[in-house]
Amino acid sequence: MGYRDVAKVGLGGPVGSGKTALVQRLVPRLDDAGYDVGVIANDIMTQEDADRLRDSFADRLPTDLVAGVETGACPHTGIREDPSMNLAKIDEFTERHPELDVVLIESGGDNLAATFNPELADYFMFVISVAEGDDIPRKRGPGVTQADLLVVNKTDLAPHVDVDLDVLRDDAETVRGDDPTVFTNCKAEEGVGEVVDSIERSILFA
Amino acid sequence: MTSSAALLTAMRLSDSMLPVGTYTASYGVEQYLNEDEIETADELGELLGGYLRGVIGPAETVALGHAHRSAAAGDLDGVLAADERLGAATLPAEFRDSSTKAGRKLLELLAETDGDPVDDGGGGAAAGDGGGGAATGDGGGAVDGVNGDPAAGDGADPLARAAVDGTVAEFAAACEAGRADGHYPVVLGVVCQRAGLSSREAALANAYGSVSGLLAAAQRLGRFGHTAIQSQLSALFPVIESVSDRYHDAELDAMCSFAPLADVMGMSHERADRRLFMS
Repeated sequence: MGYRDVAKVGLGGPVGSGKTALVQRLVPRLDDAGYDVGVIANDIMTQEDADRLRDSFADRLPTDLVAGVETGACPHTGIREDPSMNLAKIDEFTERHPELDVVLIESGGDNLAATFNPELADYFMFVISVAEGDDIPRKRGPGVTQADLLVVNKTDLAPHVDVDLDVLRDDAETVRGDDPTVFTNCKAEEGVGEVVDSIERSILFA
Repeated sequence: MTSSAALLTAMRLSDSMLPVGTYTASYGVEQYLNEDEIETADELGELLGGYLRGVIGPAETVALGHAHRSAAAGDLDGVLAADERLGAATLPAEFRDSSTKAGRKLLELLAETDGDPVDDGGGGAAAGDGGGGAATGDGGGAVDGVNGDPAAGDGADPLARAAVDGTVAEFAAACEAGRADGHYPVVLGVVCQRAGLSSREAALANAYGSVSGLLAAAQRLGRFGHTAIQSQLSALFPVIESVSDRYHDAELDAMCSFAPLADVMGMSHERADRRLFMS
C-alpha cells in the first residue's frame, strides 16, 4: 500500500477563503457515507493549530490519520513542484490504515496561481471567498482555471461586501468553460453536499 | 576527469529543484531565528560555517565518503555501516527524520524517473544474494559491474545507470525492509559513485546543497536580502571546499559531530510554538 492506492483530494486557495471550514464539513459527510478518510493540513504553524485540527476530528477519525505537513514557508512548492513530504505522509497513512479510501490534502493559504501536482491530487478543488471580491475569477489565475472544481465560499457575505453572485457565476463559467463551480456557505452547510457529490462522482465511484 | 554527463548529474543533485523535500528542513535554523539567536546575515554565515565544520564535514561527509568507497567495492555492509553510524551521530530526532525522508525520496525518485532499482531492470546484481552479491560484478546492463568507473561508457544519463545498479537497488531494498534508515548523505554517496562522480565531488555537492538549502530557509524565515545571502554563500565556498577535502576520504571510525547548540535548537524545535519547517 502506498499513496497510489488511495484517492487524494487537494484543496487549495487563498488565506481565509474557507479551506479548513470546508474540510471540517466534508469529513463527517464522507465518514457518514462509509469512506475511511485521512486529513493532511499543510503549514499548521502553531501547536495550537495542530491541537485544534486534531480536536476537530476527534470523534470521527483516528488521531494518526490527521496530520500536519510543514512546507518550509513554500505552500505552493509543497503541493506543486515538490510534493514529496505530502506523499511521504500519505504513505505513512496507508501503511497504518490500508483500508483508507480518501485523503483530503489542504494546502497552506496561497495565491491564485497555486495548483496541485497531478501526482499528489487526483482531484483538485480551489476555494475562493466571496469576500475577496467578485473579480477573482476574472483574473484567470491558474488555481481558478485549472481546478477540477471551483468552490466559491461565504456566499452569505455577498450583500455585505457589495459582491454580485451572478457576476461571479458568469465569470467563473467564462474562464472555466464546462468545468464545474459550486457556491457554498460552509458555516450553514449550504452547497457542501454538491462538493461531496462531485468528489464521489469524480474519483470515488470511478 | 569528470564527464559532462557526470557534471550535469552533480548539478541536478545539488539543484533546489530536486524534488526530495529538502526545502522543508532547516536543521535548527528556524529555531535559531525563533529564539533571536541570529539576526544578521553575517551571524547566519558564521552559524553555517559552524555547521560545515562541526557536522556536515566530520559527520555527513565522512558517512558519504565511506558509502562512496563501499559502493565502489560492492560492499553493501559498508554502506549500511555508514548509514547506521550517521544516524547514531545525529542527535535531534527531527534532523534524523529530515535526513532519512530526503534520502528515501531520492531513492524513490531514481526508481521512478531513471529506472527501477528494486526490480533491477538493468540486469545488475540486485537479486537478493546478500551483501556479497554485487561484488560478483555481473556487469549487466549499462553499468560497468561494481568496481570500475561507472561513468565510463556512453553519454547516457549517469543517474539512469545508477538507478538500475545493484548496489543502489540493494541499499533501497535494505531501507524498504527496515535494515537501513537511508540518510541523505549516504544515499548521495552511493548514487554519486554509481553515477561516476568522485567522493570529493559528491562531498562538494552535498555540502553545497546543505548550505544553499539552509541559506534559503533562513531567507524565507528572516529578513535577509538576496545579495546578502549570495555574499554569505560565496564566503562559505572556501569552508565547503576545505571540509570536503579534509573529510571525504576519512575512515568511518573518525566520524564525529559537534554542534551542541544546534542540537539543542533542533530538539527545542520539536516543541516550538511556531513551525514552518520539519526541523
